[in-house]
Order: sequence, then C-alpha cells, then structure tokens
Amino acid sequence: MKKYLLCLITLLLCELISTTDSLSIPSFARKYGFNCSMCHSGFTKLNDFGQRFRDNGYQIPGQAGKEPSVFETAPPISMRIPLGYTIYNSNEGTANSFNLYGMDILAAGVLHKNVSFLMIYTPRIDEPSAYFSGRDSSNNSASQYGALESASLVFSNIIPNVLNLRVGRFEPGYHMFSSKRSYYLFQPYEIYNMSSPNNSYVFDDNQIGIEASGHFQKGFKYTAGIVNGSGSNPDNNNKKDVYLNLSQTFGKGDGQSAGQRIGIFGYFGKQPITLPGTVIGNMGQTNGSNSRSFTRLGFDGSLNYKGLNVQMLYFIGSDDSAFNTINPGEKYKYNGGFVELDYVGLFNNKLVASVMYNWIKPPDYDSDLEFKSYSALCRYYLGDWAAVNVSMHAEYTHRISGSTSKLEEDIFALALDFAF
Amino acid sequence: MRRLIVFSSIVFLILPLKVLGQETQGKPITMVDVHSLGPQKLGNLPAVMTPPNNPQSSLKILIGKQLYFDTRLSKDNTISCATCHNPAMGWSDAGPTSSGINGQKGGRRAPPVSNAAYSPLQFWDGRAPSLEEQAKGPIQNPIEMGNTHEVMIRSVQNIKGYVEEFKQAYGTDDVSIDMVADAIAAFERTVVTTDSPFDRYARGEKNALSKIEKDGLEIFTGKGHCTSCHWGPYFSDGRFHNLGVLEFDPAKPDMGRFDVTKNPADKGAFKTPTVRDVALRAPYMHSGTEKTLEDVVDLYDKGGRVRSANLDPLIVPLGLSAYEKKALVAFMRISMTSTNPEVANVKPIPASELPK
Repeated sequence: MKKYLLCLITLLLCELISTTDSLSIPSFARKYGFNCSMCHSGFTKLNDFGQRFRDNGYQIPGQAGKEPSVFETAPPISMRIPLGYTIYNSNEGTANSFNLYGMDILAAGVLHKNVSFLMIYTPRIDEPSAYFSGRDSSNNSASQYGALESASLVFSNIIPNVLNLRVGRFEPGYHMFSSKRSYYLFQPYEIYNMSSPNNSYVFDDNQIGIEASGHFQKGFKYTAGIVNGSGSNPDNNNKKDVYLNLSQTFGKGDGQSAGQRIGIFGYFGKQPITLPGTVIGNMGQTNGSNSRSFTRLGFDGSLNYKGLNVQMLYFIGSDDSAFNTINPGEKYKYNGGFVELDYVGLFNNKLVASVMYNWIKPPDYDSDLEFKSYSALCRYYLGDWAAVNVSMHAEYTHRISGSTSKLEEDIFALALDFAF
Repeated sequence: MRRLIVFSSIVFLILPLKVLGQETQGKPITMVDVHSLGPQKLGNLPAVMTPPNNPQSSLKILIGKQLYFDTRLSKDNTISCATCHNPAMGWSDAGPTSSGINGQKGGRRAPPVSNAAYSPLQFWDGRAPSLEEQAKGPIQNPIEMGNTHEVMIRSVQNIKGYVEEFKQAYGTDDVSIDMVADAIAAFERTVVTTDSPFDRYARGEKNALSKIEKDGLEIFTGKGHCTSCHWGPYFSDGRFHNLGVLEFDPAKPDMGRFDVTKNPADKGAFKTPTVRDVALRAPYMHSGTEKTLEDVVDLYDKGGRVRSANLDPLIVPLGLSAYEKKALVAFMRISMTSTNPEVANVKPIPASELPK
C-alpha cells in the first residue's frame, strides 16, 4: 500500500512539474505583480529585500508611505497549506500517514500611510499524528490548535528607517531566524521550544506587546520590545518581559541573502511560580504570584557566499531555581542552538537544498531532555513569472532524544507546500 | 496592567495623529506625490492623458514637430531638441552625456522623449512637473541651447511660416514661450510606443516572447528586483533613487534630486527611467557610465558600483546566475523594443522643409 501511495505522489508531483501556469499567488505578490522570489530566497525564507519589506511595514523599502492601501487593492488574504505523506519510524514504533501539516490564513497590508497590519489565524486541525514530538504524545492529539497567531499593527517610519513600532500580538524580533519562515516542516529550531520544568515561557511563541525596531545606514540594526511573555492567550501575565537584539551586517545586503551578519540578543523575563486554581493548559500562563526571573542570552550569525547561506544561533537559558522542580535550589541552566546551511540554485532560485544540525544540552540531572537532530531537505518550486508559490518538499530528519534511554526517530516526508 | 493600558492608549492615540499629520503638512511644489497609487503591474500603456489647457490638435502637433527639429531655437542655430533627443537613437543621443552649443558637455545623459508623456515629472531630477515646463528648460540652459526665451521668441516671430501656423492654431500671431512649449509638448505626446513584443504578450499573444525572454521577464519581476522600481505600464515608478552609480565626473558629484528638494535623503537620487525601448539608447544611467545592458545588470547584481551613504534600500546584491543575467538582457533588448512605425519612422525634418 505504501508503495502505491508513494508512486501516486510521485506521479502527482511529476504532473505538477509539467504545469506551466502558476496556480495562485500570495496577496503581496498579487498586489504588486511581483513573483515570490522578489522577497524570498525561496519561499518561505525572506531575502534581503523581503526582510526590508517586512521591516518597512509591508511597504516597498525606502518608499515612505507611497503605497496603495488595502482599500484600494484586492482583498489581501492569503493561505498557506502544507500537506503530504510522512513516514515515521522510531525505536518505539512507526506511524506512516497522509497529513495536512498545518494551515495559515493570513491577511496583511497597508491601512494608511505608514500604518499596516498583519493577522494570521491558524484553524484547528484534528488530523492526528501530523506533529511529531517524540515521547510527548499529548502534543500529537491535534496537528494544529486553532489560534490567532498574529494580530498586530505596524507604525513605520515614525523616524524614517530608525524607528518603527509593532503593537499587538506578533513574532518578536529577538531571534533573527524565524521558525515560521524556516524551510523545515518537521524539524523546528528545537532550542526555541526548550524551557525549565516549571517555566511555561517558550522562546518561539508569538507575544503580546510592543516592539521598536530600526536600521541605520552602516548595517546596524536593533530590535527592542516589552511583551507579556505568556505566549498565547490569555494575556494576563502580571510581569512584563523585555528583550533586545543588536546586529551588524558587513558588506552589501542585510545578511539574509547577501552580506555577513552577526548579532547578540537577550531576553529578560518573569513568570509566576504560584498559580491560582485554574490553569489553562496549552493556552498560556494564568496570572499567578511569586514571579521569578529567567534569561535567554545568545548570539547568531548569518554568512552568505553566492547561493549559500549559513545561519547559526546559540543561546544559554538560565531560569531561577524556583522553576527547577528536578534539582530544587539550583538555577536551571541549559544551552543549545542550531547550524543550518542553505543553498538556492537553478533558474530563479527554484531549487532549495538545506542541511541542519540542532542540539540542546540540558543540565546533567535532566539529561532526558538532551537532544540532537540531523536534517536535510530539498524543495523545488513550480510556476511561471506570475508567481512561484507551490513547492515540492522532501525532508528527512534523524532525531536522538535523551541519554540514558535514547529515543531515536526518523522522519521522512514528501509534501506539497501551497501558498496562495 | 494599568500602565500597559495607559501606554497602549497613548500609542494608539498619538501615533495615528502623527502619521495623519504628515499628510496635512504643506509641501513644496517640487514634492509632488507621484504615482500615488503605488506599485502597479506591468502591462500595456493606456492612452496618453493631455492637460486640459493644452489639448491636442494636428496643427499644434505639426508645429511642435517642426520646432523639435529646428536648430534656430538655439543661440547659434546649431542645436535642436532632436540633437540630444534623436529619434534614431531611441530619442536620446550617443552620450555618454549630452553636448550643447560650442561643444559644451552637460553632466547628464539625455532622457528619452519616447513615452515621456507618462512620466509624472520631467528631467532626471524631476524639476519640471510637465512636458510643457520641460520644453522651456533647455532653450535657456547655457550649456544646451544657450539662448533666452525672449531672443528665441523674437527668432520665431521673424519666421513668417511659424507665425502663420501659430495664428491658425492659437488665433494670434503674438507667439509666446508658452505657445512654443505647448506645441513641442503636444508633439512629444505622440511619441508613444505600444507595440513591443512585451505589449503583444501582455495582450494575450503567448508566443510573442521566446523562452529566454519569458525567463527574463520572470527574473525582471522576481529575483532581479527590477519591478520594485520599473513597475506599471510605463515601467517606471517615476520616483527617485540613489543606485550607487559611478559619477560622470567624480570631481563634481551630481546631487540629483537633492538640488530640487534640498532634502538630504535625495542626495544622488535620480528618476527611474522607463525600460521601454531601452536597447536603443546605450549608454545607461544618468551619467552614461554603464556602456551596455549587460553592464547595467551587473551593476544591480553587485548591489551598486559605489557604496553611497545614501544608497537606496532597494539596492541589494542579487546573486544572479550567468543565464539569469542573459535572460534579463534578452527581455530588455528584444521584448521591450517597439516596432511602432509612427514612432520608429520619425525622421528629422530637413532644414529646407522647416517654416521660412
């Protein structure tokens, strides 16, 4: 049966390769008549132009407020739908299946001169086992929770280039490598999801708050923000968190697809350790008491040479001893990061190939959280000059979790990644 | 929490006011908001808009054409509009920059007259808001035609044929600089190219472009980032950008748009020219420092030749492959070259056929 399914997918993909007309185009590309490679090295990863477009409040870089608003253009609604066939093997079992890996409904655009918005809603998908999370099988009950992932306003060019504000629920700019715009569908930047046993803060979560960002002529860029720190709903964390990211790019470009960029970041947060009676699991931290502090300090770099891009990130997490239920009285410290090598090639960047290594080093007394993964992927984009918005995606990841009783997992998937 | 609510309220109240306030502030005349609708898709040129105070007429167009080719508008009877905006050279000249009376060299290349009717502002620095205003400029520029409007008008009024034509067109034999400029502008509004392979492709002839030209178009709208400035049917945003271009004379840096606006952000910024018929008018850029289309593509691929402090944020290295560059050049060279006979066949009017 598996063979037939793989053959069917292969035939389907071959048919799509031979299709010359694009199937659809995302709303920004539709608005301007651009194709996706204007902003993406390869969808989903932003190139320098795309990063500047985002930083400039979804307006053409350098064009202070000369944009058609959403009232003058077609409805600015887009969707992203990755789906495919996954083969999962581990020393504890197997699970092979067709899956809808997720669905994003996005709306974004300019409301008024230098005022823009972004909204992302992810509907709940009850398809089981699309999300693989090792032994934490509770997360496999649904592949995606229904959530308002982003709802933010951007006030750009308050001081041209130097001060832009983002307000609402947004993806904080303390990490330069967005997991949401990563090529990888099955292997997240694992360190982003790591925390101490009693700390519900997740580095990768979108946050509610306000963020200032800006860039200067000589390649210096900053991002600073105040956020709730509770990730998803509800917005009731009494103590606010602050963060700062500083980066410098050498050479032409912003370090996304050209130039060499290095940066440092720090996140300084507080979370309650005493919770009231009702805790809403998975939906965020309720307003408890006895808030204790934690930090995430690290550095990142992005190096480019022709079609090659190496991006790396390392950080050290340190949580107050009150969060440490395993070894009380001691601060919970861990570190980890990832190194990713991406290559874009063929005509108009239609081919992406990538390898990635992730690691997490928890404290010795919590070695079950030790983690390593080796991933590789290949994406091929379909379409013509109107848009490149459908990609064939093949990804393999080998994951090793724990130290005393190791869980070894292999995930292989053939997928289609639609954005329109 | 209360502090957050107060802070957010301030943000939501103050910032929109600040942003709205930007619109209500008075603007100098030179700060015209061009293409206020912002980036538009590539496509066919619409009909030319004519200003209500200068409607087209066949006689006015004829007078304008005669004046366009008439060297008697210049101080020493050697330079006409067509000297620098030569139909046989893509309505520009051999360059790299233009020459005026007594062999004087200007600092900038002659912008093309073809399709200039679609440009919201004229000259590389946009200092003229209309073709009519533009037409008046070179006549009294000391290194172009070197004349004065008064002397030029006296010359025209001494040419009986012109006086009769103006009387027929305007109902008066009292020729003015505005009438001369209106006529030249009326002629220039007929210099429109609408029949390039790209135009046919955009009208639905899917075979109008070859494979490599289609690939070039794909790069043009994507990885090449060309349409971030060269957008819309006119293939230009009509805006001003500092591209890190080499100076024609490094000893005398050209300030470009800054000379008009005095805005430091405009230093070294020049108007985006149209890509239509670009193959006909090498060399390129305002300074004529890029000899071929291949050189132009190379300039963009490298993210500019010089790292200007005022480099436009649109300019980033592109990482184009050899084939992508070749395709881009093929698209510009072949697909964008028009074959409109009424424009392509415009020949200079011999002096013997000009009004006497």
